[in-house]
Amino acid sequence: MKRALLGLLVLLGCEAPPVDPGADPRQATRLSRIEGQVVVSSAARGNVVLFLYDAARPPPPTGTGRPVSFAVLGREAVFGAAADGDLGPFTAPYAFSLVAPGRYLVRGFIDVKGDFIPWYGVTAEPNQGDVGGAAVEPTTRAPRVIEVSADAPSLDVPVSFGDAAVFPFDRPAFSPQSASLELSAGGAPQVLTLSPLPVDDGLIHQKQPVFLARFVDDDGDGVADDANKDGVPDLWPKVLVRKLAGDSGLLDENDVDHNGVLDLGGADYEHLNPADGSTVAADGKSDAVVLAAGFDPSPFAAQLFDAQGKVKATPTPVSALKLVVRPQAFDVSDPRSPAPLKSLPKGRYAITVLQLTGQSWRVPNELSSPYAEALGFPSVASQAFVVTVR
Amino acid sequence: MAVAVVLGAAVAHADARLEARKHFKQGMALIADGRLDEGVDELLEAYSIKPHPNVLFNVAKAYESAGKLEDAITYYRRYLGYRPQDSAGVQAAIERLTARLPPPEPVPPEVVKKEPAAPSGPAVDPALVSRLEQLTLRLERATEALDAREKPDSRKGADPKADELPAPDDDTSDVPYEETVVTASRRAQSTLEAPNATTVITAEEIRASGAQNLPELLRRVPGAEVMAMGVSSYDLSFRGFNQRIANKVLLLVDGRTEYQDFLGGSIWPMVTIGLDEIERIEIIRGPGSALYGANAMLGVVNVITRSPGSGPRASFSGQAGNGAVAGGSALVSGGERVKYRASVGYTQAQKYSRDYDDGRPDVESSFRDSWLGLRSARGNLVLHTSFGRDVSVSMAGGLNRLFTEIYPIGLLRNFYFDGLGGYVQADGAFGPVKVKAFWNHLATDDAGPQYRVVGQRSLALTLQSNVFDAEALFQKDFTLLGQHRVGVGVSTRLKRLGWTYLGSLKQELHAAAFIQEEYHPIPAVQLLASYRIDRHPLLDNGQPGYAQSPRVSLLWRLAESQSVRASFATAFREPTFLESYMNLRTPLPGVNGASVLTLGDRTLKPERLLAFEVGWRGELPKLGLEYELTGYWNVVSDLIALSAVRPLPAGQAFDPDTQAYLLGYFNFQNDPLTYNARGLELGGRWSVLSGLDVRASAALQSISAAVAPGQSCDACRQAPAVKFFFGATYRTPVDVDLGADVAFTSGTTWSSREPDAADPTQIVNNPTSIGAYTVVNARVGYRLFKDKVALSVVGTHLGPTHAENPLGNAITRRVLATITVTP
Repeated sequence: MKRALLGLLVLLGCEAPPVDPGADPRQATRLSRIEGQVVVSSAARGNVVLFLYDAARPPPPTGTGRPVSFAVLGREAVFGAAADGDLGPFTAPYAFSLVAPGRYLVRGFIDVKGDFIPWYGVTAEPNQGDVGGAAVEPTTRAPRVIEVSADAPSLDVPVSFGDAAVFPFDRPAFSPQSASLELSAGGAPQVLTLSPLPVDDGLIHQKQPVFLARFVDDDGDGVADDANKDGVPDLWPKVLVRKLAGDSGLLDENDVDHNGVLDLGGADYEHLNPADGSTVAADGKSDAVVLAAGFDPSPFAAQLFDAQGKVKATPTPVSALKLVVRPQAFDVSDPRSPAPLKSLPKGRYAITVLQLTGQSWRVPNELSSPYAEALGFPSVASQAFVVTVR
Repeated sequence: MAVAVVLGAAVAHADARLEARKHFKQGMALIADGRLDEGVDELLEAYSIKPHPNVLFNVAKAYESAGKLEDAITYYRRYLGYRPQDSAGVQAAIERLTARLPPPEPVPPEVVKKEPAAPSGPAVDPALVSRLEQLTLRLERATEALDAREKPDSRKGADPKADELPAPDDDTSDVPYEETVVTASRRAQSTLEAPNATTVITAEEIRASGAQNLPELLRRVPGAEVMAMGVSSYDLSFRGFNQRIANKVLLLVDGRTEYQDFLGGSIWPMVTIGLDEIERIEIIRGPGSALYGANAMLGVVNVITRSPGSGPRASFSGQAGNGAVAGGSALVSGGERVKYRASVGYTQAQKYSRDYDDGRPDVESSFRDSWLGLRSARGNLVLHTSFGRDVSVSMAGGLNRLFTEIYPIGLLRNFYFDGLGGYVQADGAFGPVKVKAFWNHLATDDAGPQYRVVGQRSLALTLQSNVFDAEALFQKDFTLLGQHRVGVGVSTRLKRLGWTYLGSLKQELHAAAFIQEEYHPIPAVQLLASYRIDRHPLLDNGQPGYAQSPRVSLLWRLAESQSVRASFATAFREPTFLESYMNLRTPLPGVNGASVLTLGDRTLKPERLLAFEVGWRGELPKLGLEYELTGYWNVVSDLIALSAVRPLPAGQAFDPDTQAYLLGYFNFQNDPLTYNARGLELGGRWSVLSGLDVRASAALQSISAAVAPGQSCDACRQAPAVKFFFGATYRTPVDVDLGADVAFTSGTTWSSREPDAADPTQIVNNPTSIGAYTVVNARVGYRLFKDKVALSVVGTHLGPTHAENPLGNAITRRVLATITVTP
């Protein structure tokens, strides 16, 4: 029958129907895909979660990018009926579909406790015991940049997971030790103490009772780095005080679609020329506004050096962090060159603490009311805290 | 006589009924003016175009009134050949007239014996001979002209007199050539008496239009919104509220539903008959739930097929054209004691356009023939037998092996269905009681999205749908302070559905009862009241509940050819299986680890319609003109639609079945808005000249709803404000047929929820505008060998390439050649 039909088509001189995407935006795209195998050498068991990042916006700790996509391989698909303790290697195919042409990184982890949920800040990162993985260059083990085009998918990208990449800690969940923190333009810097917040309730498993502190020493010379040359050694954990959108909610200003990319046509502020103090007019581009903030390491700085006075390679547990927030705002839409703003934008600001493993915790979050009740999370009052600029 | 045959064959008619009615009315007017012979000529011309026994009766009456008793007797006898119900009275009239005839002058036997070769002179009245000869000639011309046009059928029974008469073409109305419908009140009635706005598309119109499918024919219906999504996928609505999988119009074929209860909406190519088997299509615009229950909310399309044994005994057709259009069909019809009609057909066509090219790294076709848009191999058989005048039984069955496109709702895109559909139907008429039972079946293990995302979970599906339906209807006429026609009916329907999108097998048992009283206190006034109650297993907040559908209509027949009506009716659409039970995890485009859940809701209320309608319908028969004007106000509430994405409890975020995280869920819900749809529809047909017919319509509508500030009224923007149709067919005397129609639809804006392009985990409302478009179809035909062979070239969508929905195909021109042989 089909031969007859094809013959008839030839007879009629018919061509295949034209391709016309019409008004469907989905059809108007021309995308690609990334495929490969995950290779797991570990006794850990769980779903394998893979993240795809824009190579220009890498994830913490090297950047602040959010994944552009993710894929999940079920435990059965990867490990089958493997016996406990079996180190593998286990392999399973994965795919990222409908990937826009570009350059990407692939990261992932094995969700051992099964408590990962990508939609909520309090559940969207790996925890202690999870096994990390990434697509890396086979020789250098450096993160592999995967390039795809509309005509050339990348079809053989292995993603390796091993016990060497087990996350040793939970996330740096914290609780502000004040009911509020308010700043105003021209006012004095404000100090806020953050305490660890162990939560092990329902879907939240953050048991870490301490913060893990360490001076940054990326060059390994034993001397704490000072990347911004402000005379204060750079410290893990890092902190970000980011302006929130509107009067309520958990979304960042100018990122209301929560994709980590600044929205077009968002809030735009006048900048300050640091060279002469002059005003730089708003440029029409959305700003990512943060407050000048950092942890004061003085209470525990001495513990971060070894007997030789060099920076300890391993982090040191500390029981509290002293956050200092100055009444100065920056636009960090280009994270490599924060631009000071002329004024201090009023509104609410969130505090994000980022520890050296790349894990982070942010307040306010979904453990606050009314989100917690609606989503089935434990309700923690302190998790509604915001820094307020008046 | 040979001349008469040739003349008859050369006479051409596009809409035979309309032309015959024109001649009939002219004839009656001439007779009333005392111009008997001219009047009778017109009546017989009408009869030659379309035989109707009452024409013969009217001729007889005319002669009787004029005192021409012999002529009257002749036509009364011809009339009796049709075995009419008033045979006894007519026979008595014949006897009465015969008695009044002067006795023949006695001829002496001896004279005859002596001069046998010269029977002349005073023995025979020359005027009488002449008149009888004329009479005979007229009747022969009428009969033979019809013979030349169409072979008579065999429904005349064993009466030798009847065998000499042409069949009356299923025109059973008392008033000759008055258009009748059965759908509006479940009995044959004039469209002038129908309580709804009603449109009829005749077999002649179907043939002359060159239309290749049912929905394209319906563009000519005032107020109809025909939305072509692809070559085989159409959505139809009346008076707004169209959508992908339009679900508010009931499609019937000989009273059997083709509406797919599980899905909501009709799969048009699933119909197992060909267009050449259709006697007429009756379209009721407006609520029909009072008689047809659920889903006849905005209208009813009832396809009525030719009676078995009627029409041509055999017919064969073939077609081929661009767009890989190819097909053919065969139809036979005949039988004596048991009459039959059997048909087979094959049709294929490629899509108008493809969504994606082949060989892409991201998206691929789910099947090898990515060009395919329609492939149907169908067969249908109908058997009918009668036992006396009042008892008859019909059996019918059909199968369709079908590949078709379907454009579903929500995030889903272009689907295909490759499976089997079929039905078995039994009808019985036992005097005033009619019973009907049918089984509709639909099955596939090869269906799903036409294009799949490479590397992403497939949404391929399997489906088994079985619907069993039984109905009994009792109708009785009686006189009590006027004329009454009462109809009472009961029905039940069992639906069983296995569908991977719903989970386990689902089953529902429905029941209904209805009553209708049509009361004529005086002949010119008709008061119609209908009431139907439907039992649905979920209507009471998930428990068995009832939907009630009353209708009242007042109709005043201003004159024989003019009527006005006002009606109030309610109608409803029940939640489909899809809306009640759906449980589908749709992968988010581009996020392989995430899905969005679509859930049915068993507590949905039915969609509701309150309809107010006024209409004026009339004819100017002498001009061959019919027209109608309708105004309506529809109040639509509880529309069932998908909600915005709602979050799930965090504990339900991971779905172990699909190994994906659920972003949230859509669910079907009743729209809190109440919509007011108001409109005006004007339509008409005009038999301009012999063979030339024109049909035109216009519809204006406005839909509004009290939306909150910042919200948009999607249903309001999706309804075209203006629609026009103009079509003309000309059946020339030189065997060339011409036909063309133009349908204009004003621009619309459609809303669909889409994953955001930048972040697919965000679902955004995406309004897209569709500009006004005009559909142009045309046909040129040539008839050969006394109409036994018809060749034609048909062009569809000859206007600019356009889309009728943002997600639909870019619809392009198709030109095909057809041949029809009727040996």
